[in-house]
Amino acid sequence: MMQIEDWIRFLRKYGPIPRNDNMYDETIQRTARRYKIKPIEFKHPHQKKVIDSIISPDPVSIILTGTAGDGKTHLCRKVWGALKKDDLKGWASDDPYLNLKVLYPKDRETWPPPKERELRRVVTIHFIRDLSAWAPQDGYEWAPEKEKLLFRFCKALFDSSSDDVFLVAGNDGQLIETFERFKKRFEDIDLIQKALNAFEDLLVDDKQEKEGIRLRFFNLSRGNSSELFQLAVESFLNHDGWRGCLETNAGENEAFGPNCPIRRNFELLQTPLIHSRMTSLFELCDYNGLHVPLRQILLMLTNAILGHPDVKDRLMVPGDVPGIISAGTVSKASIYNNLFGGNLTEMRRNSITVFDYFDQFQIGYETTNRIDNILIFGEENELFSTPFKEFMTEDTFYGADEKFHAARRGYIEGTEENETATKDFMDLLISQRRGLFFKIPKASEAEFGLWKLTVFKYAGEYLDSFVDVLKSSGSVSRQIISRLVRGINRIFTGTLINNDREIFLATSGNYSQARICRILIDKISVYPSKGEKVQLKHDVLLKRVILSVYLTPDIFEDFDLNLIRYEFLSRVADEGVLPACFSRECYEDILAFKTRLLAAQKRRREAMREPPTPISELNILSLSDQGVAEENFVEVML
Amino acid sequence: MNPLSERLSPPQNPDPSMWIDEAIWGHRLHDEQSPWLIYLEFLNVFMFEYSQGRAFSEAKGYNTLCYKPCKRLHLRNILFNNPKLENIRLVLANDSERWEAWFREMETAQGINNPDFRYLKKHFGRFEDFYQIVSIIRSTSLEMNSNKRWTSKFVFPYGEDCLFEDLHQNTNTNDRRFFGRTGEVLYLMLCRSRHSDELSGAIGDIMMQSGKWNNIVRCLQPDSPDAMRSERAKAFLPYKHHEAFDTLAKDWLSILRLNINPHDMIPHLVNLAGFHMVKYQLDVSRQLLERETPATVVCEIVAPKKTIVRELSCEHYQGNNSLPEQAVEYYLAGIKKADEWINAASEHDAFMKCLQVLEEKVLWPRNEGDYNGPNDPDSLMEDLRAAALKRHRRHNANIHRNYGREIGLVSKRGTNKLRYAPTDNFLKTLLLCNVPGRMALNHFLTRLSDRYGLILGEREAERILPREDFDKKAFQANSRRLEQRLASLGLLRRLSDGCAYIINPHRTGK
Repeated sequence: MMQIEDWIRFLRKYGPIPRNDNMYDETIQRTARRYKIKPIEFKHPHQKKVIDSIISPDPVSIILTGTAGDGKTHLCRKVWGALKKDDLKGWASDDPYLNLKVLYPKDRETWPPPKERELRRVVTIHFIRDLSAWAPQDGYEWAPEKEKLLFRFCKALFDSSSDDVFLVAGNDGQLIETFERFKKRFEDIDLIQKALNAFEDLLVDDKQEKEGIRLRFFNLSRGNSSELFQLAVESFLNHDGWRGCLETNAGENEAFGPNCPIRRNFELLQTPLIHSRMTSLFELCDYNGLHVPLRQILLMLTNAILGHPDVKDRLMVPGDVPGIISAGTVSKASIYNNLFGGNLTEMRRNSITVFDYFDQFQIGYETTNRIDNILIFGEENELFSTPFKEFMTEDTFYGADEKFHAARRGYIEGTEENETATKDFMDLLISQRRGLFFKIPKASEAEFGLWKLTVFKYAGEYLDSFVDVLKSSGSVSRQIISRLVRGINRIFTGTLINNDREIFLATSGNYSQARICRILIDKISVYPSKGEKVQLKHDVLLKRVILSVYLTPDIFEDFDLNLIRYEFLSRVADEGVLPACFSRECYEDILAFKTRLLAAQKRRREAMREPPTPISELNILSLSDQGVAEENFVEVML
Repeated sequence: MNPLSERLSPPQNPDPSMWIDEAIWGHRLHDEQSPWLIYLEFLNVFMFEYSQGRAFSEAKGYNTLCYKPCKRLHLRNILFNNPKLENIRLVLANDSERWEAWFREMETAQGINNPDFRYLKKHFGRFEDFYQIVSIIRSTSLEMNSNKRWTSKFVFPYGEDCLFEDLHQNTNTNDRRFFGRTGEVLYLMLCRSRHSDELSGAIGDIMMQSGKWNNIVRCLQPDSPDAMRSERAKAFLPYKHHEAFDTLAKDWLSILRLNINPHDMIPHLVNLAGFHMVKYQLDVSRQLLERETPATVVCEIVAPKKTIVRELSCEHYQGNNSLPEQAVEYYLAGIKKADEWINAASEHDAFMKCLQVLEEKVLWPRNEGDYNGPNDPDSLMEDLRAAALKRHRRHNANIHRNYGREIGLVSKRGTNKLRYAPTDNFLKTLLLCNVPGRMALNHFLTRLSDRYGLILGEREAERILPREDFDKKAFQANSRRLEQRLASLGLLRRLSDGCAYIINPHRTGK
């Protein structure tokens, strides 16, 4: 049976240790062999599609791009395994380029390939499994065989009779740069340029295929982090390594004994509530266009279980546990804090993508009076005592321990004048607010204002009443649509307008980007009327919600309604001010959308061929006391 | 850099008191004229020449431009010299009473013989409509928040009926205060560019087809608004060709071909006009000083604290800022070193001969009192130098700073020193005229450096800066900040580490 010690030491390698060894598939495989432990693995969501592109009567080339840790090399290895019946001997070499000769049917249809020799063709499958290691660095000579190979690749992309198939893995920047450099070596090479253009199109437009090119393009950075999280957490928790830990009969204060924070964290990570909150966070990242690579998810999970600020590398090993218990610092290993990298130094935390993304939610820093009243006064004040008991007293592990009570009393009584004490209490509060984010049950979300513990007050609604409804092809409530439209109108007109059944297209007279726009150009009905409507669409593949404004059944403009924009519009609609904590980005985006709608409105007018009139009419907007638009027509006779 | 082409000779009886700044850069680059006003003055020239069917041609030879801008005093009295309008609307309720009261008020309108505004009733059924239109046109006018005189406030250039020249308060003369001829110089630059024909069509198009708003502004004017136009001439640009003319023209064309509302193009054209004026002044200075390369401009994308890029940017700013003055000194030193001066100085009546040389070369001294020193060539030259620098520092030396700040290239943000720290709007202008659809970020940075000498990223910095000034990390951070800024403007798509594309949303699909 696997020793606890071995397993935790192996697991640690997935965590935020100085040399993040397990970022590379190659090193994981090596370490796993050394420890004789199976790496944490699961079927990558793209695996079937990738393998099917190669194991097919007419295979096509594949490019796998993505950020470090997205699983590019892993997928290459899977393809190799599929072709060689899991014989990975050749794969273990250090060469970034490998190839295999494989028999395929000549007719490119029969599958499996016929037995007769004359009905088969030999296809060379080229693996450039690490483009950056394979391609010469900028300014270095290109070996002739590398030039030849890249040419072959370009040819194979556009030649349907080619017997070469390539599998190229590299990050997107390297891919484009390699081809740029390759192109520079030759003059007028249309073929290379054509390939390069295709790559750029596929990348920028987020497509997997393009007409006229024999290529499947998988950008693993466009994947679905919440799906990856679910797969990862499942294989993480079900790994054999844990079984060994659970089956040891550890003493009370030993590793994996009843007081061990590693054990506690492992158990907590299995609770459905923590699962669903984490999934929500990843899902929100997805809908904000932030992609978390697989390896980062594993890093976060490892850190969640092993994190503790007082030990080496800030990750616990079994030997640390008795010391932590006797020092009374178990609470510092709180999974709630570790999930946000709270055990790490600020610098380290900021350098890790997943913590950087999670930091944008500001969980632990955002709060409400009610939440802080519960945490600070809950023990004495009966108004807040029930939740205090539920969330703090009953959580004997990470809830209100002696240290918390002492700090809390010090804070309330104001006896501690020194700043360190106050700061210590504030740090405890941050950790406890994070805890609450994972403890408040689904049914009480509204009661406690769960999402007010994040910067995105409307995030819960965004997931439950917006994204999920659209996913299941339902219709979003009128109240939400009205609020979004009101937000849009307020930005479009630069006034505190309350109208929400029509989109108001207004300009200032000169620039369409001006802040205050009083001249109404047109109104577009939100609910279907004479070809006009506003429609919400869900893009399953890219995980985004599109708000489409139709001016006619054919003339429409799309607006990507990500979480930030949803929050921004909702706050503008409800609070009437531009939220200061948001960058100008949202504001600019919405104005740019107006510019597009104005252009669409012009197209519609041209399509209708309205005759010029001798009268020029302007519609000037003003607002009633209730914020309802009043239109004043002004006529000028030309 | 190519050497400067031969200088054209000054026009007959030029106005300036000496011909030095003018000989080097033209008559004239004026620091009190903001880029917006340069653009407006340019449009006045262009539209007149366009209406005569000779836009961007110097048919009678170099520097023979002669045009008659409009005054449009009815319009300007209504918009900018009409303080009682609001009050009349508030106090009187009856429509015809309002009109009559206002007409009476306007009997004292300035600069118009027997002012009569009754033509307005033809266009406006109600006084209220008239009032609303006036307030809207005012809200989009230029210089409304400045304390400039009413004759130096301008209507947004919706179309040809919105153009008029800057005037002295007496409404009779153009005192060249805010229309200081830089717009004329701009016109001549574009005229002598390789793309003048295409440009003429493109600018003509946006000015002639600007539709509704121009028509509305026309309705505020009598049928024949301008009987008393005066002739404006004597603009001067010293070079037949210059790279700056072509680059400017190309940039303008790129903007004019964007798929956006013509009114939205104007701020970008204005920025580019100001930017290329600055570039022209610096590059001509460097050519004159026989430097081999054009001016370089290290730009800081504003960082939260002091960085090496900021220091370099300050240094570059200061270095560039002193170039025009050095050019003036060098120009004068050139006269002193030339055979003509040396021969004159060695002759019997050296002083008179030298005086003649100067009168011919720099048109100075021309008036009594211009020179009161001893009759000695060296004193004469020294006096000229002092007078020339004094004059240069008053106006021409401020171009780099003033235009730079107006267009958003130069700023003090976060420090007390001026430096190059481009604003979002200025970056957007550069992006719109340089990115056809999409472009990798590093290509964009290379292009900015090749085309304008703007240095933002580490590759360009490494190529151009001396080794001791180059700090890779600092410039990497600078381009990362640029990336974030452009992304926040929706103009950049970041794909993964080290791969980002700039997107020009107004060219996509074209």
